[in-house]
Amino acid sequence: MDAQTMKMLGAGLAGGLGMLGPGIGLGLIGLGAMGALGRNPEARGVILTNMILIGALTEAVGIYALIIAILLAMVV
Amino acid sequence: MSKLGCSSRLMVILGIIVLALFLTSFVMGPLGSKFFNIQVPKNLQVSKPFVQLPSEPIFHIGGFNITNTVIASWVTILVLFLLFFSATRKMKIIPGRMQSFAEVVVEGIYNTIEGVAGEKHVRTFFPLITTIFLYVVTNALLALIPLWGTWGPIAHSAEGTVIIPFLRAANTDINLTLSIAIISFCFIEYLGFSRIGPLKYLDSFFQFSELGKAFGKLFKGDGKSFISGLAFGFINIYVGLLEILSHFIRIVSFTFRLFGNMTAGEILLGVMTFLVAFIAPVPFYGLETLVGFLQAMIFAGLTLVFGVMAVTSHHEEGAEQH
Repeated sequence: MDAQTMKMLGAGLAGGLGMLGPGIGLGLIGLGAMGALGRNPEARGVILTNMILIGALTEAVGIYALIIAILLAMVV
Repeated sequence: MSKLGCSSRLMVILGIIVLALFLTSFVMGPLGSKFFNIQVPKNLQVSKPFVQLPSEPIFHIGGFNITNTVIASWVTILVLFLLFFSATRKMKIIPGRMQSFAEVVVEGIYNTIEGVAGEKHVRTFFPLITTIFLYVVTNALLALIPLWGTWGPIAHSAEGTVIIPFLRAANTDINLTLSIAIISFCFIEYLGFSRIGPLKYLDSFFQFSELGKAFGKLFKGDGKSFISGLAFGFINIYVGLLEILSHFIRIVSFTFRLFGNMTAGEILLGVMTFLVAFIAPVPFYGLETLVGFLQAMIFAGLTLVFGVMAVTSHHEEGAEQH
């Protein structure tokens, strides 16, 4: 296989497999937040603020994978 | 006359024109010409979107490249200055419209920061957090205006015709996001060192005081808790090194979170406009607006949370008010 094919393969794998983890992570954050919200609807403000905060931290990891995929596919 | 503000016949004509443009751009564009096997005439062909991550320099000031993202950030500064300048002229007790808008923004951010930092520390955090939030959000929202990224001279390069825009979304420049991240990092560390004192701040990482207590137990003759205290002391030193590393990794994560979101959004809008030029990119413009707000909130909010964590030392955690 020549270099161009390997590059495209690498870009697809990096993007696809790299987004697996953060996707599951964000779902778990949502699970925890919904569970807490169901048990204690009065704490809505605190729960939602913290959920968005941790969601941002997790999503950043997915963005790292996206950057690698973009670098491989379009720049290198 | 309908409630729309113009006659319904005009709306119908406009609707038909937009629908015709949508169908034309779908059929004559890259999607339609592949599905229906149409040969698109040369002057209607659209060149593939070309991704260029580093920003293009427009002119030089004494050996220093001024890129289009720098010019866009100047426009942001001008817009913010004009907005708040016009809001603070002739301030009245019952505010006019511009002053009301500025009051809503400032009071909203102040209340949010007070909710996280507590009443004692709001004044410390308010200037920098508000500046970061307003700067990043204005950069992101101004980049959706049609002038950004499309107005500039056309250059012919190896990949086809390429536009070098005079203005480009400022958040897509790694230099800008890196500089804001470094400012956040320096602010947080300065707060940690100046509020609690450098020794206590380093102690919150390594827990030297725990190690000292273990030695104290040895002198009192309690051998078992000395051994366990010593073991935990060494583990704490290792954990402290990891925490210091994580403080430095914050710079990297701040940079790439904002840069990645904004660049991915720019590429997404470019690709969607390339595929179908009308109506289809509209939901993605909505997504980009939301992402701009969200990323600004996240950048400022994370700086705030890390700063509050640095100011309240680990022993005071129980007394934190929420």
